[in-house]
Amino acid sequence: MRIATGIRRALPRLALAAAVTVFLGAAALAPEAAFAAEPVAAEGAKASAFAPAPTLTTADYPQIRGFNGRIAVWLAAQLHLWFAAFVLAVPIFVFIIEAIGMGTRDERYDRLAYEFIKVSITAYSLTAILGGLLLFFLVIFYPHLFQYLAGIFRESMIWYALLFFAESAILYLYYYGWHWLQGGFAKWVHLTLGLLLNAVGTTLMFLANAWVTFMMSPAGVDAAGVFSGNTWAAIHNALWNPINIHRVVANVAFGGSIVGAYAAYRFLSATTAEQKAQYDWMGYTANFIAISALLPLPFAGYYLTAEIYAYSQQMGITLMGGIFAWLFIIQAVLIGTLFLAANYYLWCGMGRSDGAVRYNRYVKYLAAGIIVAFLVWFTPHTLILTNEELKALGGPYHKILGPLGIMPAKNIAVNAMILFTTLSFLMYRRANKIPTVSWVNAGNATQAALFTAGLLNIFFLGVYHGYFTNTVYKVASSIPQVLTTLAIIVASTVIDTLMYRGAKEVAPLHWGRVSDRSQYALFLLAVAFTWLMGLMGYIRSSLRQHWHVTNVFRDASPDAFTPTLGYAANVVSLGAIIFMALVIFVFWVSQVSARHTTAVGYWKAEPAR
Amino acid sequence: MSHFLKVVAFSLLVIAFFTGFSFFGVPQIEPAPPPKEEAVERGAMTIEQFVALGKKIFDGKGACTLCHNPVGGRAPALERAGIAAVERMKDARYRGAAKSVEEYLYESLVKPSAYVVAGFGKAGTNDTESPMPDASAGSIRLSEAELRAVVAYLQDLSGVEVTVRIPTDAGATAKAQDKPAQRAPAKNAEELIAQFACTACHKIGAQAGGPIGPDLSRIGASRDAAYLRRAILEPNADVPKGFAPGVMPATYGEQLYARELEVLVAYLAALK
Amino acid sequence: MARRIPRLAQAVLTIVGIYGAFRLVFDVLLGQPIPSSLLTMYMFFVVAGVYMVFTFTEESTRELVAPIRALVEDPRRKPIRNVVFALTPLLAAWFTYAGLQPRIEAPVELRSIHPAPPSSVKMFGKRFDLLKLEKEEPKKFRQLVAEGAKVYVENCHFCHGDKLDGRGPYAEGLNPVPMSFQDVGTIAQLQESFLFWRIATGGPGLPADAAPWISSMPVWETFLSEEEIWKVILFLYDYTGHRPRLWSENADHSKH
Repeated sequence: MRIATGIRRALPRLALAAAVTVFLGAAALAPEAAFAAEPVAAEGAKASAFAPAPTLTTADYPQIRGFNGRIAVWLAAQLHLWFAAFVLAVPIFVFIIEAIGMGTRDERYDRLAYEFIKVSITAYSLTAILGGLLLFFLVIFYPHLFQYLAGIFRESMIWYALLFFAESAILYLYYYGWHWLQGGFAKWVHLTLGLLLNAVGTTLMFLANAWVTFMMSPAGVDAAGVFSGNTWAAIHNALWNPINIHRVVANVAFGGSIVGAYAAYRFLSATTAEQKAQYDWMGYTANFIAISALLPLPFAGYYLTAEIYAYSQQMGITLMGGIFAWLFIIQAVLIGTLFLAANYYLWCGMGRSDGAVRYNRYVKYLAAGIIVAFLVWFTPHTLILTNEELKALGGPYHKILGPLGIMPAKNIAVNAMILFTTLSFLMYRRANKIPTVSWVNAGNATQAALFTAGLLNIFFLGVYHGYFTNTVYKVASSIPQVLTTLAIIVASTVIDTLMYRGAKEVAPLHWGRVSDRSQYALFLLAVAFTWLMGLMGYIRSSLRQHWHVTNVFRDASPDAFTPTLGYAANVVSLGAIIFMALVIFVFWVSQVSARHTTAVGYWKAEPAR
Repeated sequence: MSHFLKVVAFSLLVIAFFTGFSFFGVPQIEPAPPPKEEAVERGAMTIEQFVALGKKIFDGKGACTLCHNPVGGRAPALERAGIAAVERMKDARYRGAAKSVEEYLYESLVKPSAYVVAGFGKAGTNDTESPMPDASAGSIRLSEAELRAVVAYLQDLSGVEVTVRIPTDAGATAKAQDKPAQRAPAKNAEELIAQFACTACHKIGAQAGGPIGPDLSRIGASRDAAYLRRAILEPNADVPKGFAPGVMPATYGEQLYARELEVLVAYLAALK
Repeated sequence: MARRIPRLAQAVLTIVGIYGAFRLVFDVLLGQPIPSSLLTMYMFFVVAGVYMVFTFTEESTRELVAPIRALVEDPRRKPIRNVVFALTPLLAAWFTYAGLQPRIEAPVELRSIHPAPPSSVKMFGKRFDLLKLEKEEPKKFRQLVAEGAKVYVENCHFCHGDKLDGRGPYAEGLNPVPMSFQDVGTIAQLQESFLFWRIATGGPGLPADAAPWISSMPVWETFLSEEEIWKVILFLYDYTGHRPRLWSENADHSKH
């Protein structure tokens, strides 16, 4: 993703601003003061108190027969991450939905928000258990690594543990106090609790991110791994903010998709029309959240990649040009799957209204647009050719597909895909309505012009700068492309909202009138997200190659090798299956509490008074 | 319940598809295994290889590039280290004892504070103390031979004459335990023939031997040294009539020392 | 009014039509066939897309599935059903057989066209830092390009072609065929330092971890001088009209 270097200029400030905003929210609890004050004392006095990174041999890694330490740590970490992402994301949109409910005074939102948080509460303890498991595995299998990291992050680890108390307390108050803190001032208190919950949760994640990113891009240590004593420097390493932003956005998308799968399952097994309607709406909202977070995710990814390049070009090339280049083809297939599933769900959802028939015939054009964009997106730069094909082509380069394999084509494709998805969404919104404002035709024309001009602009920028000017502009052109896409999304939504203000409804919207097939699109979304997260976890970690801490602390274990994609895919799949099984358990348990069995004749009869 | 099974089956199918694509949709590239640590072999190195070893240590084990790189600006660039050494040894701020470029470079590795390039000192020490660790201690802990290899590399890098001598003992002892036990070379041809039990198959000179291989008691009369050398190294290249190919091991080229081979060939060629 | 084509037939026709179009456009019209591995993936997602378009409404789905359902359930279709049920496993068996049958052709080999270059490399007895290596803008640019052209014609054109399109007289004998510099995917994507490295150290200089690679490029540092390689690089970019890759705008030394 060569685009990365160019976007670097614009994004860091935004990113930092966002991170600071979130962080300030947590200032009351965050140990920021401690970070700032501590190094001053530590600098001189403790400078020699820290040991350098040890040089290990194979014997330093405890082995348990029949038990692969690395896979154990890998799975535990990945499972912990999946659950953590889920329980951190849900409060974010629960907070938003609750606020919407308070604004609109529509109780359905409040019920929906409660249903969401209910789903995540059981997952919360599993997150902690898996975190504990990860910790045990690390201490058992990588004792020296853990000791080294704990030496550097001792303060933040204590803060992390303590913050967990705050997180638990607030979560329980928030969840169990939901029906208690209702109305007027009490509701405001409850909403504040939600904000606090998010602040603490996000701080927790940022702390853990610091340990992970320290291993990738160590800071605050010298060449031999001797810690300077400046904790803040170690935390605020080169990749910390990029990972923070990427993870917050991805968590929301992931959380939305999991809740969507939950709603889909409840929809499928619902028996009454009322339940069907409720879970259909829940699934729709969850899908909407997931897709809204999915759209900016590629840009967060570019920013992260840019920072990786900036930190170490060697690491950047390993990421994009070396053995991992093919991983991005798999990633393209997965993200394409996400887009296809999301669009299909929207199209199926048009069946909820009777007016949508008018739009049915446009679906095939949208589908064609998305599929073409998608095919371009996953066309690899290096083609797998048989010798016969090699001869037929006259070389390893394909005159048509070759240019499609490089970044400018991908940028055009991904922006087009996002725009087509936006169109799907607009169409869905319009499906059941007839606008009554006088400027309908002008409005429609404006929107058509907007999309056409936007697509042309994206296309022109990509083709002209990508293929006809030098590479600096190629990279830089991705920024106006992204801005074009965002501008179109915002402008068209605004026009549409104004145009359909006070619009006539063709027929009442039938929540629950949607095919079972569409629900499977929601499952597909959840599974693809889960798997994708696992895959990207593998590459993030593998970038360190044979280092525990890049260039500072060598991994001397027998498992120091970088696994192949197939090997990684197996582990990721295994993890995804375990995760699914646990999630099913969690969802099932959250249902059990609502069931009441009347055991007639079991209890002794109440004594008559 | 049937919904439940359907959903599970569907999800498993999706996962199977992703896994399958990762296996069959993209090529499986085996990433390079982690690099091995370097061993200095006794006397078996050219100065060029020694310099290359120094570079490997410089980039890898020595962790030098973490600071001495063109981007970080954390430590002085070393492209001119060998040239600068001459000036620095004359500098008033120099506190070391080196007399030559080689000694200076070596000293800079083990006593980095002997001369601190202006602007690169530890904060607050007014360039009297270097932030660089002693490369022979701590986690880097380069051996004597490895340090010299780095010095050789630095001399090579800055374009001055490489004066470092390849150590014959220091480095080898560090890694001696890693090498397989070496066979002591045989003193003469008879001992060699006994060691390798050639007579199990061949009659050689006056010694009696088995009938499996050709009779070598007067082999020097009919074959020259070049033929014999090849016959030992590549036994199957020319198998005499009446003998099966592939019986004699083709591994003597790896087992014999070069000098032994010559002794043996000369001995055989003299059997007339 | 003409009878409408049944939905199932429409779907099948669409898929077959798209496949045919791929074949027609790429194989016949452009003479650049899509590699079979990629075409399989393309068609997989085309099928997925067609499925999506044909099933997003209930009526359409019912119509699509109706003939299949009828085939399985309708007692009157028993003969056809039996034929289909017999043919399907046979077809699967044939596919498996055809897929597993050993072929004369050499197995597919993947090579990294752009392996990650080392950060510095020793060439001409000197050390070059590839991250920073750039040739300053030459004053007598035209003359140098002309000299580069001479070096090219004397050494390179036998394989890389007199039009720099990788179709020199010896190209047919090489597999993979030599690089075409006219392609936007080759030298336009690279920095001069990459070219310098690849030319000077040739096939043997490729890094081990970028394997599998195959390159019959000679080690030109033994035949050409450093200056000559730089001149040839100038010529390559000048003749093709490509610009070398730059990491930032202000590092643009190659304006001319």
